[in-house]
Amino acid sequence: MKRIRAMLVAACALTPVWALTAPAHAQGIPQNIPRKELVILENPEGTIKNAGWFNMWAINAGSQSNGLQQVALDTLWYIDPERGLDGSWDNSLAADKPVYNADYTEMRVKLRRGIFWSDGVEFTSADVKATVDIQVKNPAMRFSAVLANNVAEVQAPDAETVIFKLKKPNSRFHTNFTVRWGGIWILPKHVFEKVEDPVKFDFNKPVSLGAYTLHSYDPDGKWYIWQRREDWQRTTLARYGQPAPRYLAYVDPGPPDKRVIAQLNHELDVIHDIAPEGMFTLAKQGKSTRAWFKGFPYGHPDPTLPAVVFNTQTEHAKNRDVRWALTLLIDPKAVAMASYRGAATISAIAVPPTGVHPDAYHLPMDAWLKDYELDTGKRKIKPYDATVGKQIADSLRPSMGDQIPSDPNEIARAFGTGWWKTDAQAATELLERAGYKKQGNQWMGPDGKPFSIRLMVEGDLRPVMTRAGTMIVQQWRQFGIDAKVDVAQGTLLTRRAAGDFDAFIGWSVETWGGHNDLSYFMDSWHSQFVAEPGKPQPLRNWQRWSNPELDKLIEQTRTISFDDPKGIEIGKEYVKLMVREMPIIPLMAYNVFTAMDQTYWTGWPTSENPYANPVTNWGNSRYMFVKIKPTN
Amino acid sequence: MHGYLAYCLKRIGQFLLVVFIGVNLAYVITHATPIDPVEQSVSAVTSFSSTAPDAIAQMRESLQELYGLKGSRWDQYVTFWRRILVGDFGPSLSAFPTPVSALIARALPWTAGLLITSTLITWALGNLLGGLAGYYRKNRSLKLMGVLAMGIHPVPYYIVALALLVAFGFIWPILPIGGGSAMNLPQGWNWAFVSSVIKHSILPSLSLILLGLGSWFLGMRSLVSNIVTEDYVVYAEVAGVDSRRILTSYVMRNALVPQVTGLAMSLGAIFNGAVITEKVFGYPGLGSLLIDAVYAGDYSLVLGVTTVSILGVSICVLVIDLLYPILDPRVQVA
Repeated sequence: MKRIRAMLVAACALTPVWALTAPAHAQGIPQNIPRKELVILENPEGTIKNAGWFNMWAINAGSQSNGLQQVALDTLWYIDPERGLDGSWDNSLAADKPVYNADYTEMRVKLRRGIFWSDGVEFTSADVKATVDIQVKNPAMRFSAVLANNVAEVQAPDAETVIFKLKKPNSRFHTNFTVRWGGIWILPKHVFEKVEDPVKFDFNKPVSLGAYTLHSYDPDGKWYIWQRREDWQRTTLARYGQPAPRYLAYVDPGPPDKRVIAQLNHELDVIHDIAPEGMFTLAKQGKSTRAWFKGFPYGHPDPTLPAVVFNTQTEHAKNRDVRWALTLLIDPKAVAMASYRGAATISAIAVPPTGVHPDAYHLPMDAWLKDYELDTGKRKIKPYDATVGKQIADSLRPSMGDQIPSDPNEIARAFGTGWWKTDAQAATELLERAGYKKQGNQWMGPDGKPFSIRLMVEGDLRPVMTRAGTMIVQQWRQFGIDAKVDVAQGTLLTRRAAGDFDAFIGWSVETWGGHNDLSYFMDSWHSQFVAEPGKPQPLRNWQRWSNPELDKLIEQTRTISFDDPKGIEIGKEYVKLMVREMPIIPLMAYNVFTAMDQTYWTGWPTSENPYANPVTNWGNSRYMFVKIKPTN
Repeated sequence: MHGYLAYCLKRIGQFLLVVFIGVNLAYVITHATPIDPVEQSVSAVTSFSSTAPDAIAQMRESLQELYGLKGSRWDQYVTFWRRILVGDFGPSLSAFPTPVSALIARALPWTAGLLITSTLITWALGNLLGGLAGYYRKNRSLKLMGVLAMGIHPVPYYIVALALLVAFGFIWPILPIGGGSAMNLPQGWNWAFVSSVIKHSILPSLSLILLGLGSWFLGMRSLVSNIVTEDYVVYAEVAGVDSRRILTSYVMRNALVPQVTGLAMSLGAIFNGAVITEKVFGYPGLGSLLIDAVYAGDYSLVLGVTTVSILGVSICVLVIDLLYPILDPRVQVA
């Protein structure tokens, strides 16, 4: 009797569990949407606190990459960091490239016609004008300062023409309206003109200019679902055909291990980025997973250059010899292994080894780099080793086998070309010339105190870069420098701006990737923007480095047009200057391990078919949706 | 009665003092953070762009104005207390202009639902089994349970959570591994949504129950082990009182007094959220909100969550303090 009673109790207890868990599969996908119509992508911003906020023109109020900037908003031009659908440059809302007057004080834009907002209102020049006027009028809006500083007046003489009268010459003004990752998005005049305070307006439900419109979202910020517009033909993306997925879900899939599980369960089509170990697991277990490279090193090299960024306003890093000595103490192979487990694309020069840059800078400058001589004070050395990329590939081949390419061009593309030789003797000579002395196992500075340097890393918020920094510190310590890892965690951004660091692992070089103009980051390196010690440094010269030669290069760039071939020549001079001065130690491309599942969708962008950047939070990832196809 | 009233007033006075000191400490600590909310916001919107440096300097100015960071520290402190007294924590700095109270109100039901349920289940199961194990010391099943409780208790939470995720999310994928409810399911009081919420809470609550059970079990077992040797229990056994009655009325009831205090403290602490649980299982709640706010330097939100937490713990302790003289006559009220 007791046994029967126990069984009954157990059955009663388990029934609700069974009832709740009965549908055994597809636990993590949106309900009531056929999988063949749905693409699920990671929103790397995670859970959005302010889920119902869609006003992208307010500063940091809601999510940016929940699909809003990728598929709902649009602007004048796009530059893809890869090859693009029809070239890297894409005239999106603009019908053609910008036209400047001779002294770059006026920019004319011809707009496309036949483009409509999702509520049926036609997009016109009035929207572009309102985008400028409303933001200039409201200083707390996101692009207010940049527009107010540049634009004297914006005119819309007819529905398809916009004329920007600029306050001062600016040959790169159009880049504000050009998407690399994002840009100044065009706002709907007919919506915002009725709003009393555009800073406090949530823009919910958003009116789209892109091919998708908001279908539903989680008030707790875990997911957003976008639906293809019925009138998608009236959007700029339609030039490339119909976007195949009817629905797009941008989700917060949680920590890395859960992202791996979700993709192995085919519940997450695109992982934005994952640690190298996660990528290796997916490559091994997920038969349908595809990354940018078919095999090792998998990741997509972003046009971003992780580097050792010195604070050149500190006593040690002021000295070029010290900076070069610290460079020559780094073993790039060990750093590549520690950070990306070998899946790194190295760069000896201060330009990311990705997109169009290797053809413009890395390969043409190889001969110069090989011949480059560094004077240590006692002798001249040639510090460049053109075979480091090949050495990394060779060291990985025994364990990774056929996944490692053997063709030199492929190796260069995947692992990079050369880097600086590890040369402790040359580092010793450079430090001695700078007045440093070694006492026992400890290097002392010119002031007689131990040579101490803190290398700031972000900690577990950015593990790959933290591992790179830890390895570099280890190498400096082995040489007798009192180097320490300084884990900043969430304080990195504040400390970086305040100049509260000796050096950090991060980047001050980001480029278009798909265009060779370097002003994207270089213009902000002009000495006019370098803050005094203790004062906040504006984006992006975190090394706080001033150099008259660099100023001249920047000033020359300002006087030529964006597409002028002279830009590449100026870029090469910049590269040479950076090699001589070494204010940052370039390390590698920021490889993003975007994992794409081919179970339900195929045709993702890859290194063999590089029509777009696959990284999910980039605005230009929208181009994927016209190229991918359902598998059944 | 007069004595009890005085006791209550004294306890309420202590409660107000604790809350005042706690909130002030939270205010000082949050404002001493090295993370600048303006810098976090500027970085979030400019990291991927080529915004001109002079524009960024202006953006910093505008944000300081907008976030109300321009007044003196004293002005900010007075404004803070003025707002707190009417239940207004001001706008969140990292989700401006959304009020902090709106963000907390959205997250709190998830945290409360998950943690109250799992805390009560853990408490009830742990004390019941611990009580039985302490009383029936020779029972093999209960002995085994003691070994299991001691074995699982020290395992790091993340390991248990990950094991559950792999087991029920990948190897035998019968349970969802993230979120509070299914995607594309409108929130509301209907079975589809409620069952989805229950289903999504199974793994996080199971992880909390598995790890929480041990401490209640072991605590109760040792309490009962001591009580069973008390004279009044021995006397009851000698007098032939039914063993079930001895267990429930003589032993467990007395052993439960400190456990009830512990429960109150645990329930109060739910307002801190369950940070690791929420992060690992992607479950919405106060813990994640707090961590994100700390990283964003959003001290309005951090202060909001910590104030709610201080109030939660203090109120629970106050309630227990006020109930004790009624529950346990040994507590002196005079």
